[in-house]
Amino acid sequence: MTQKTLPMLAAMIGLATSYSYADSPLNIGFIVPNPVGEVGWDHELDRGRQMMEAHFGDQISVTAVDSVGEGPDATRMMNRMAAQGADMIFLGSFGHMNDGILLAKRNENLAVIHAGGYLTGERFATYAPRHYQASYLCGMAAGYVAEDAELGIIAAFPLPEVIGMMNAYVLGAQSVNPAINNVQVVWLNSWFDPARNRSAAEALISGGVDVLYSLFPGTPAAISAAEENGVYAVATLSDNSQFAPTKHLCAGQTHFGAIYINYVNSVMNGNFAAGDTFAGIAEDAMEVAGLSPDLTDNQRNAILAKQDEIRAGTFEPFTGPITDNSGDEVVTRGVRLTIGDIKGMNFLVQGLDTTLPN
Amino acid sequence: MDMIVFILTGAFATATPLLLAALGELVTEKSGVINLSVEGMMALAAAMGFATVYTTGSYLLAFAVAAGLAMLLSIVFAALVLIFSANQVASGLAAGILGLGLSALLGREYESFTLQAPSGLSVPNLSNIPVLGSILFEQDIVVYLTVTTGLCLMWIIQHSRAGLILRVVGEDPHIAHNLGFNVLRVRFLAILFGGFMAGLAGAYASTILTPIWSQGMILGRGWIALALVVFGTWRVLRVMIGAYLFGALLLADLAVQTLNLGIPSQVMTSMPYVMTIIVLAIVSRNALRIKLNAPVSLGQSYRPGQ
Amino acid sequence: MIRYEFVPRAQPSTGALVIVPILTVALSILCGTALFYILDKPAGVAFYAFFIEPFLSNYTLSEIAIKAAPLILIAQGLAIGFRARVWNIGAEGQLTIGAICAGLIPITWPQSDNVLMLPAMILVGALTGMVWAAIAAALRTAFNASEIIVTLMLNAIAAQILVYLINGPLKDPRGFSFPQSVPFPDVALYPLLIEDSFLRANVSIYIVLALSLLAWIYVRHSFSGFRLLVSGLAPAAAHYAGFSSNRAVWISLLVGGAAAGLAGVGEISGPIGKLQPILSPAYGFAAIIVAFLGGLNPIGIVVAGFFMAVIYVGADGAVLSAGLPASAPIVFQGLILVFYLASHTLVNFELRRIGGTKGTA
Repeated sequence: MTQKTLPMLAAMIGLATSYSYADSPLNIGFIVPNPVGEVGWDHELDRGRQMMEAHFGDQISVTAVDSVGEGPDATRMMNRMAAQGADMIFLGSFGHMNDGILLAKRNENLAVIHAGGYLTGERFATYAPRHYQASYLCGMAAGYVAEDAELGIIAAFPLPEVIGMMNAYVLGAQSVNPAINNVQVVWLNSWFDPARNRSAAEALISGGVDVLYSLFPGTPAAISAAEENGVYAVATLSDNSQFAPTKHLCAGQTHFGAIYINYVNSVMNGNFAAGDTFAGIAEDAMEVAGLSPDLTDNQRNAILAKQDEIRAGTFEPFTGPITDNSGDEVVTRGVRLTIGDIKGMNFLVQGLDTTLPN
Repeated sequence: MDMIVFILTGAFATATPLLLAALGELVTEKSGVINLSVEGMMALAAAMGFATVYTTGSYLLAFAVAAGLAMLLSIVFAALVLIFSANQVASGLAAGILGLGLSALLGREYESFTLQAPSGLSVPNLSNIPVLGSILFEQDIVVYLTVTTGLCLMWIIQHSRAGLILRVVGEDPHIAHNLGFNVLRVRFLAILFGGFMAGLAGAYASTILTPIWSQGMILGRGWIALALVVFGTWRVLRVMIGAYLFGALLLADLAVQTLNLGIPSQVMTSMPYVMTIIVLAIVSRNALRIKLNAPVSLGQSYRPGQ
Repeated sequence: MIRYEFVPRAQPSTGALVIVPILTVALSILCGTALFYILDKPAGVAFYAFFIEPFLSNYTLSEIAIKAAPLILIAQGLAIGFRARVWNIGAEGQLTIGAICAGLIPITWPQSDNVLMLPAMILVGALTGMVWAAIAAALRTAFNASEIIVTLMLNAIAAQILVYLINGPLKDPRGFSFPQSVPFPDVALYPLLIEDSFLRANVSIYIVLALSLLAWIYVRHSFSGFRLLVSGLAPAAAHYAGFSSNRAVWISLLVGGAAAGLAGVGEISGPIGKLQPILSPAYGFAAIIVAFLGGLNPIGIVVAGFFMAVIYVGADGAVLSAGLPASAPIVFQGLILVFYLASHTLVNFELRRIGGTKGTA
């Protein structure tokens, strides 16, 4: 391709999308909270960014910064990006929410896209994957293989998203294995501590669990520990098969790329709407991955069939009746929880054996 | 029962990086120098120890590289406090930041990579003894070496000539100088030993205890090691017991959570720290005992001829 | 054989006070150039971002004030204790507890327009920070328990208390169970230096500077300051003069706790505006460095606090404009500190050339 045709091509695409970025690319700032690793939250966010860049090529110019944790310092980074002429800023942590809302309010030509919050604002959109849908499917896998019906969960903090995933997981497991009860839970009370994460896995394994579910641990340490001890592992966010070649049971694989591409398109087209994207299996933002070959064909097909039902909208994990772990029916038969209910979930389903702060 | 065995068994490995670093710091402090860069030295060693195993597969080389790098950092610290007579606390913190930064920078190619855990070394026959066998004889080799090192140090500090010189330098560098000892050399070697041990501690943490590298994975364990030295009132055996107890408490938090006693998990997570305070208050009541072992010149710079 | 030796000066050199910063920056630039060359990043751009850019815009100046205020405040409190050799490592926990307790006021009355709210929070924050530190003082004086360990452990406990409260009783009932409190009303916030601007700097920096002045007066001119000095440097002499070292422990920890608690209020009533899981990017630890960089001297601490704030703010710029990995500025900060400490020797020592073969020891 000659030097002349490139701008021409860009101009043509520009016409097609009715946005004149032929002269200058759309400036995008991209902030993730931790170092980008091989799997997990920051890895998936970054993979989404790469998909976005591959899709738009030189129509966009992305400045990506990692390790910008929550707290007063994050604000500085996003303000600088805005001051340096960013048209869009992606914020990768729940803790960036309030500062991001202020930032969008103050910068009239800036669109801010925030991961994992519950508020929207002027030119401030939020998105979150429906993790719980994959959790339900992985729960089914766990229910199938748990010979002693002993499940163990390791989780970082009791966030509503985490509680929703635990609940869906247990519901999924109980749907195929009614004996599942007294699911043990260990809270790490830290976002990131590989050694503690591994010890938590070993504590649960010594307590006799058949399957270990590691929820947002920020590290694959628990998955490796499960492999070493011959216990099945279920992972969040990314396929963790590489860390448990023989005992990886299932993972909820997240895809952020499509969400990002939609947002960038909407800004380019001038119809950016500061809404709430809660994208799941139906939107290709989520799927099960790394299903263990130990599952029988029937079991695997049942899981994939359930995934298709979720995709088609004929099934939703949080459909009543649902009983909480004090025995009260919290969702009546046939009722589907709303997005608000799911995003703010603060009850534990029957079978989860742990205590929340209240 | 399984739970108790889990705690008592796991406590050895959990305590090992704390103990390795604490033993090194104990020797440094015995010479009258407090080095607060333990966290940074451990982090740097953890990053490069991991990188070495990842690229070469050799644990021996990894521990050597890790110890070497931590010693280099301890030389930076030693230069500040011994040559430039800089404040020990500030110098330790500065060197620590340098170490943390370097660990993140050099380790970024390996971020959240994992290694296959090395298979444990179990002592034949003895490990078949019920309960006690699995607690005492199924540990990895570094655990045994660490305990052995501790016992040797205990003897060296109390009974050998080298230990005597170390103690005299830490008690009163001027007297030591007048006795003909080279105070700066003794302190330099003590700092270097502290670096060496912190290096081993870091390498153990990232290649054996949790075979993974991730920025920030040391997470305050260097500070716990420093606290252990004070907790153990500068006595090797007490530091060893303290490290083991703290390791057991950390695991007890996680193990007890699985029982769901209806207590919020944050209470359980706080328990190791609450217990440490309580035990400390009980064992510290005898002020004389602490004074007997605390190096008098700790934290003060020394210049020959002053 | 020619060798050099540091020989103590009779008087601290004032000339060296000029040379030290120049030498520090020069050495840092030299080492930094090598570092950035290895990383294949533009060194010039990075240095500009570190040392020049922070002074060029109102925004960065405001951010320096935001960053410097808690560092200076906590360091002033700690320095009083450090001078008496009382080692409070727990400013982080005292900050957290002060912030939680002060935060209870706006969380209880989120719609209030009572202008006394902020003063009440300041009072409560300082008092509860003090109470948290008093645990260490009590255990030290009653049981001889090392305040280093107790304050360090209390940090971890304070962090768990915050996690519990913010995920439980104190979370915003309309916040979809997310871990943060209701946003504070305006009366709970420090007034901004420039109203209706996007600059975050607020009047707390003035309070911090005023308190620094107080600390200076306390240390220089009060008998009580002298007592702390004495009991730190010469416990025996202090004892002989009738000063109790228990008193020094209490004063040190209470003052340090109050300062840290106040800094906690500065965060929740300043840039944060609510309670959330992360209140401080380890200000309590960074302040230890500030205290010592400032030579435990109240004026020196103000300078050191601003200096640290500049290199923090500069780091963001360096990451963004020179494309440095996020960890490179930390290395660079470490280098700056190491070179500063090394060059600072020139204030109290002079480098003398000695001929011959005389050994040092």
